[in-house]
Amino acid sequence: MIEMLQYPFMQRAFVAGLMIAVLASLSGSFIVLRRYSLLSETLAHVSLVGVAVGLLFGMSPLWMAVLASLVASWMIEYLRSVHGMYSDSVLAIFLSGSLALAIVIVSMAGSFNASLFSYLFGSILSVSAEDLWVMGIFGSIAMALLIAFFKELYFIAFDEDVARAGGIRVTMLNFMLVSIIAVIIALSIRVVGTLLIGALMVIPPVAAIRFGMGFYPTTLLSIAIALISVVIGLSASYIFSLPSGAAIVLCLLVIFIIALVINRR
Amino acid sequence: MKFSPSLFEVNNLNFERQGNLVLNGASFQILPGEYCAIIGPNGGGKTTLVRLLLGLEKPTSGEIKLFGIPQKRFRDWNRIGYVPQRSALVDSTFPATVREVVGMGRYALRGVFGFESAEDKSSISEAMELMGVSDLSDRLIGNLSGGQRQRVMIARALASDPDVLIVDEPNTGVDAQSQHRFYELLRTLNKTKKMSILFITHDIGVIAEDISRVLFVNQTLLVSQNPSEMIRCDEMSRLYGTPAHVVCHNH
Repeated sequence: MIEMLQYPFMQRAFVAGLMIAVLASLSGSFIVLRRYSLLSETLAHVSLVGVAVGLLFGMSPLWMAVLASLVASWMIEYLRSVHGMYSDSVLAIFLSGSLALAIVIVSMAGSFNASLFSYLFGSILSVSAEDLWVMGIFGSIAMALLIAFFKELYFIAFDEDVARAGGIRVTMLNFMLVSIIAVIIALSIRVVGTLLIGALMVIPPVAAIRFGMGFYPTTLLSIAIALISVVIGLSASYIFSLPSGAAIVLCLLVIFIIALVINRR
Repeated sequence: MKFSPSLFEVNNLNFERQGNLVLNGASFQILPGEYCAIIGPNGGGKTTLVRLLLGLEKPTSGEIKLFGIPQKRFRDWNRIGYVPQRSALVDSTFPATVREVVGMGRYALRGVFGFESAEDKSSISEAMELMGVSDLSDRLIGNLSGGQRQRVMIARALASDPDVLIVDEPNTGVDAQSQHRFYELLRTLNKTKKMSILFITHDIGVIAEDISRVLFVNQTLLVSQNPSEMIRCDEMSRLYGTPAHVVCHNH
C-alpha cells in the first residue's frame, strides 16, 4: 500500500480518485432521490463523444468531454423542464444517440482504439499533472456550489413544487445541478471511465439509503462508501493490473450487497 | 401578522392548457383572517387556481397581486404556507427525518450557505409542537402513518411563519380520526392565530360552520359570501350539474 504511493502516477490517481469519489457521491444523492439516475449514464456516454472528437482532431479529450457533456446536460434539462418531455425518454434518446455518434467517430478514425479503451474503463496510468489541475479547478467550483445550495437541492429532490412555491429558484438550480454532474462525469473518465462512472454516482447513495437514516447522515455515509471503494479499487488495480474503473465498481457492488444483506426489509 | 389590504387580489384571470380553457375571467380577493373554501367538480380548475396564485403556472392573461405586490415582483414567498394535494403520500424510502422535512420550511429564509439560526430553530420547534409531531422528530417520514405525515407537511408549511395557509385536498390516505384533528387545527389557526386559510376540498359539509366564503370553481369562478346558502343541496346540485347531497358533520 505504502510502496505504491511512492509512484507519482499512483499519487495522481489517488488524488483524482478521492476527489471524484466525494463529488460523484454527493451530487449522485440528488439524482438518485429524484429518480434521475440514468442522467449520469447518459452524460457519460455523451462525454465519450467528446473524447472521440478530441482524439480524432488532436484536441484535449478531457476538455472536449467537458464541453460535450455540458451542452448535452443543458439540452436534456431544457427538454425535460421547458418542453415537459418524460425524463426517461429524453435520457434514452441522448444515451443511444450519443453512443451511436461516438461509434461512428471512432470507426472513422480507427487508429486510437488503445487510447479509447482507457477512457471507457479508466486507467490509473492515464492521469496527468495537467488533468489534476483541471480536475482541481472544476472540482472545487462544483464542490462549492453543491455545498452552497445543498439544502435547496435537497428540498427540490423531496418536493419540487413546494420548493418552488416557497421561493426556491428551482429552474436555475436544476440547470446548475445537471451542469455540475456533467462536469464531474467528464472529469471522472480518466480514473473511472465513461462506461463505469454512473455506478460511482448511483451505488453509494443507493447503498447508504438502505440504512434508513436522515439525509445528512445518509449523504456522509454515501461519501464514505465512495471513498472506501476508490481506495480499495485503485489498490487492487495497482496490485492485480486491473482497469481501475472496473475494480472500483466491483468494490461498490460488494458494499451494496453487504448493505442489502444488513438491511433486509 | 403584517398589515395588508388583501392577501390575494386576482383580476380577470384566464388560463388555457393545450388550447383548452381551464379558467375563464376569475376575479376575487382574499382578505386577512379569512377562511375560504374552494370547491368545484374534478377538473374544474381548483388546483390550477391555487397553482396560479403560487406562481407554479403562468396565466394566459390577467393579473395576480400578492400582499398588494404584482406576482412577478413578489419575493416574500415564505408568507404563504402551502400543503399540496396528496402530500401525505411520500416515497417510503426517502431519507428524510421529520425534523429535516419541517426544517425545509425555513430554507428559503436562510439564503446561500445559511446555517440554521436560533430563530429558525425556534420556528421549527414551535411548528412541530403545534402539530404534535415533536416526539417524531428523528423518525423517517416514510415510516409514519398517513395522518402523521399530513401533520408533518402542515408543520413544514407553518415553519416559515406564514400569513396564509393554502391547503389542497390534503386528506388522501388519511384516516377519519386524523381528518377530524386536521379540521380542528385549521379552525384553531384561523381563530386564535388569525391565520388566513384557503382550503380546497370536496368535503364542504365538514367546514361549513367555519368558513367565511366559498369560491366555486368550474372554469368560471363564483364567489359566495354566504356559505350556508351556497352549500344547500339544490344550489350544489345546480352548480355541479348533478344531484348533490350535502351533509354537515363534525368529522
